[in-house]
Amino acid sequence: MEQDISGGEESNLNEDVATRAIFTDLEPATWVNDDDNGGLFFHRVESDQIIYQEKKKRCKIIGKYVMGDLLGEGSYGKVKELLDSETLCRRAVKILKKRKLRRIPNGEQNVAREIQLLKRLKHRNVISLVDVFYNDEKQKMYMVLEYCVGVLQDMLESTPRKKLPIWQAHGYFCQLVDGLEYLHSQGVIHKDIKPGNLLLSLDGTLKISDLGVAEMLDMFAKDDTCHTGQGSPAFQAPEIANGLEAFSGFKVDIWSSGVTLYNITTGQYPFEGDNIYRLYEKIGRGEFTIPEELEDELLRSLLKGMLIKDPNERFSIHQIRHHLWFMRKPPRSLEWVPVPPLRGNELHTMTVLPYLHQYHYRDEQSIPDEYEEELLFRNEDMSQRPASHLGGKNVVTGDWESCEGAHNGRKGVPTSGRKRWRRPRPYIGTKHFLQGCKPT
Amino acid sequence: MLSSVGYCKILATVMPLFGKSQKSPTEVVRALKEAVNALERGDKKAEKAQEDVSKNLVLIKNMLYGTSDAEPQTDIIVAQLAQELYNSNLLLLLIQNLSRIDFEGKKDVAQVFNNILRRQIGTRSPTVEYICTKPEILFTLMRGYEHQEIALNCGTMLRECARYEALAKIMLYSDDFFNFFRYVEVSTFDIASDAFSTFKELLTRHKILCAEFLEVNYDKVFSHYQRLLNSENYVTRRQSLKLLGELLLDRHNFTVMTRYISNPDNLKLMMNMLKEKSRNIQFEAFHVFKVFVANPNKPKPILDILLRNQEKLVDFLTRFHTERSEDEQFNDEKAYLIKQIKELKPAAEH
Repeated sequence: MEQDISGGEESNLNEDVATRAIFTDLEPATWVNDDDNGGLFFHRVESDQIIYQEKKKRCKIIGKYVMGDLLGEGSYGKVKELLDSETLCRRAVKILKKRKLRRIPNGEQNVAREIQLLKRLKHRNVISLVDVFYNDEKQKMYMVLEYCVGVLQDMLESTPRKKLPIWQAHGYFCQLVDGLEYLHSQGVIHKDIKPGNLLLSLDGTLKISDLGVAEMLDMFAKDDTCHTGQGSPAFQAPEIANGLEAFSGFKVDIWSSGVTLYNITTGQYPFEGDNIYRLYEKIGRGEFTIPEELEDELLRSLLKGMLIKDPNERFSIHQIRHHLWFMRKPPRSLEWVPVPPLRGNELHTMTVLPYLHQYHYRDEQSIPDEYEEELLFRNEDMSQRPASHLGGKNVVTGDWESCEGAHNGRKGVPTSGRKRWRRPRPYIGTKHFLQGCKPT
Repeated sequence: MLSSVGYCKILATVMPLFGKSQKSPTEVVRALKEAVNALERGDKKAEKAQEDVSKNLVLIKNMLYGTSDAEPQTDIIVAQLAQELYNSNLLLLLIQNLSRIDFEGKKDVAQVFNNILRRQIGTRSPTVEYICTKPEILFTLMRGYEHQEIALNCGTMLRECARYEALAKIMLYSDDFFNFFRYVEVSTFDIASDAFSTFKELLTRHKILCAEFLEVNYDKVFSHYQRLLNSENYVTRRQSLKLLGELLLDRHNFTVMTRYISNPDNLKLMMNMLKEKSRNIQFEAFHVFKVFVANPNKPKPILDILLRNQEKLVDFLTRFHTERSEDEQFNDEKAYLIKQIKELKPAAEH
């Protein structure tokens, strides 16, 4: 959580940053060396079986979906591009591993809530959930979502001063307000609005995402009173920072949208602190300054209105809509900031195609490929075994899980460099290989 | 390849930069106005007038949008043009005579209108302000739904207007608004659909405005709405039921919702719709019906109806859309309703 305050990252790979939008509780430690327990076991391979070859694009199909490249990775699991083979729609899939979810406080609960909420929401500025399915065998959950090319946070970080031109920020802010108004009209309080949770589709439409800590009001609740807040510290409202028991949910979202607007137009945060206590102390006092260089008086007044300490005084969505800065379209001034490229691909072209190409037009070189597959599937076989034994229940049995536990325990200190053990491909297990690799 | 004559003609119309061929906004607007007036009189020169209208409309459109080989005109020219349009009252005149203008011309009118409408100077929207002083423009547009040949053109302009709260307010609070209840039911499907989307936009776009309107005009709106729900037309019935669900479940309309679900007639209607032949209508009705049952403070008449039908409802809901086993949310809600209805008890007498 703390890294949200600083904004800067030790992101060694582009993709790591990308996931922050989707996984709030991202901790650097969990990225590293955290793939599967399968990699832990020594596995004897005859030298003639080792194939020194570059990785092939092997087409992987789950149900009607064709898998593409990795879009991002977080503590919950990975996000990959997908192609719906029936509708030919580009999608993204969030692959959640039960095992990883359990380690995150409220992880499973938050995901369940997010799915429940997303299913009933439908708005162009809220990410839409297309499909959900499970693989009990692999203890994975797949959330198929609208395809997005990037995160607002990444766009900020791709610029030298971590901010957007005013006119571009205005466009995103208007969409944020549209999406937020819809959420509130449905009785949903997001509670974690920040640039890291705002995605952008290919056509530049902003999509509010990550409803993991959102709350849905009862249909007959008289007002929007909430009792818990668990968003990102730098974006929390004073009433939460001061530990109030009950507060207006809508106004909390207004506050964090105000911090977001402040952040994308100035490159800074209205409240900063060395640690969460200092930060909350400052937010709690509610005193902040807007950098001099932000000359637009209207924008300054909107920011002040959205960041009023007293939630009753703070602007409502209605007031924001009627604010002159909101109504006016700022002139196009500075250059447009594009969505940063994914692995050098500036056009964000579909990554599924090479896989399909390989699948349909593979040449003679496909023969060694077969060997590789078999090799992988043995690995997979090992790692998959325990999952099916456990049968989806949260039981920690001695042998397999404890190995993993030990591994996790050590992993508190992030190791330098990323050792990535390649994920094996899923196959229906065969038993013949297994006896040899059971751990003692 | 263009002949040199043809090319010059195009130059004269699109790039009026050379000498006398250039027409100022004042001139174009005046020429257009004269042509529309002639068209309105319908004398023998009608054909010539028709041609002039189309030609001048294209000129104005190109000033605003530019063409493949010319940029839109400068802000100063556009400002002049807008000013001329306001002063000459041409927008209203064009809309009033829309049915007399040819097919392409109608589309050009809509394009010019929408462009001028979106114009901003700083924080002001001068055209919106202008139309506020000339609401006749809006009323004429709304009545456009009564004329098949211009209904869809008027629809695009109306929805553009509806984006502005000030204009949406004028439309909502006008008597003409209630004509929409008729327009959404007309026999021409595309017109009815277009009218419905405008109708929906007006009732949902500006949340606070809409909630106020529904509260103030509750009786009138919902007595009209009742007719839509009872329409002979399947599409009207289904669409209006869906919109009703959306309106009631929007938190901005909380007061309206509480009022709606306190009326036993509304409950009876929903219970009947639950039994409609169309499964889609049954499903939409379910989402309104559930609000009546979930209400923690059910008025006595509502409670009485539910109690009278307690067993039948439980029975009915248990068998209701059982094939939707994939839809968790629906099944949760259904189970919740069944439980609620089972546990209903007559209110204690005070």
